[in-house]
Amino acid sequence: MKLTSDQIERLYQFTRQHYVEYYDLQTELTDHLANGIEALWNENPKLSFEEALQIEFKKFGIFGFMNVVEERQIALTKKYNGLVWQHFKDFFKLPQILGTLSAILVIYRILTFLADVYMIFMILFAVIMIFFFGGLIVMRIKNNRLNKQSGKKWLFQEIIFSYGRFAGFSYLPMQLFIHLEGISKTNYGIIFISVVLVLMILLDYILLIRIPKKSEEYLTATYPEYKLM
Amino acid sequence: MYICEKDFMKSSQLYKGSLNTIIMKLLEENGRMYGYEITKKVKEITKGELKITEGALYPALHKLEAEGFLEVEVEKVDNRLRKYYKLTESGTTETVNRLSELEEFIRNMQTLVNPKLSY
Repeated sequence: MKLTSDQIERLYQFTRQHYVEYYDLQTELTDHLANGIEALWNENPKLSFEEALQIEFKKFGIFGFMNVVEERQIALTKKYNGLVWQHFKDFFKLPQILGTLSAILVIYRILTFLADVYMIFMILFAVIMIFFFGGLIVMRIKNNRLNKQSGKKWLFQEIIFSYGRFAGFSYLPMQLFIHLEGISKTNYGIIFISVVLVLMILLDYILLIRIPKKSEEYLTATYPEYKLM
Repeated sequence: MYICEKDFMKSSQLYKGSLNTIIMKLLEENGRMYGYEITKKVKEITKGELKITEGALYPALHKLEAEGFLEVEVEKVDNRLRKYYKLTESGTTETVNRLSELEEFIRNMQTLVNPKLSY
């Protein structure tokens, strides 16, 4: 005995009721539950759909789907970090590394020409941060719009459009720069600041432009069903 | 007694570290599989002695996928979508490595637990 389309829809609803927000996971769990229910019906055809569903759901343990959702989040965040790192490494290969080094040199020259290095540095830092958080807001809006359009939420899309865990790390450079006033007076200090600034700009560029631009490609590779929708 | 033994095997820590290798070995043999099929197959092969719980299977599959060892295909089967997993090129190489590691582990354990077998 096979499940009807209405029963499949009920399974999707069931996963949503059990806090599975994302369509990719809903689909996988729905198919799993459906297979389980059909197998139970083969053994005992008198079992009702809801009874069979409860039996199958119990197999996921007392936390239900929670563990599956959490672990999926961890796995996809790891995948995203891998993507960021891959793009980051690109800037340190030939010929891009020439551009990276030139950028460091240009910022170093600008900083050494100016009297108040720390002030200029703080302004540049503020501009980078404005782009970082401004971009985050714009991408969140885009993500919500895409969700509304399709009526479905995709976990990897959400990770891409919210920088994964990177948004939470932004306090680190802030902490670092509070203590930078002293070192901005030495030559090595200015080199260090130039390197940090360029690395931040690169990270901004990767998180804000490069990865979102290729998001469709990454999402299709992660979810073959993404294009079917 | 038998039930106790079975329950022990199901929850045994010894199996936890081997879950990924079991999944990869099955995919190597069967080409591509979906989640439910994997749990069924393990139960079938081990005659019900070893059961992969649903709560452990999907996290393991998703982790292997994120690490680039598995890739996915989605197909409409009956009136629903089904997600199939298969080994990538690096996944195939990794399976060979993990299996030889596991075999070596089993050999060492046999020697330790039952020294007579080493003769």
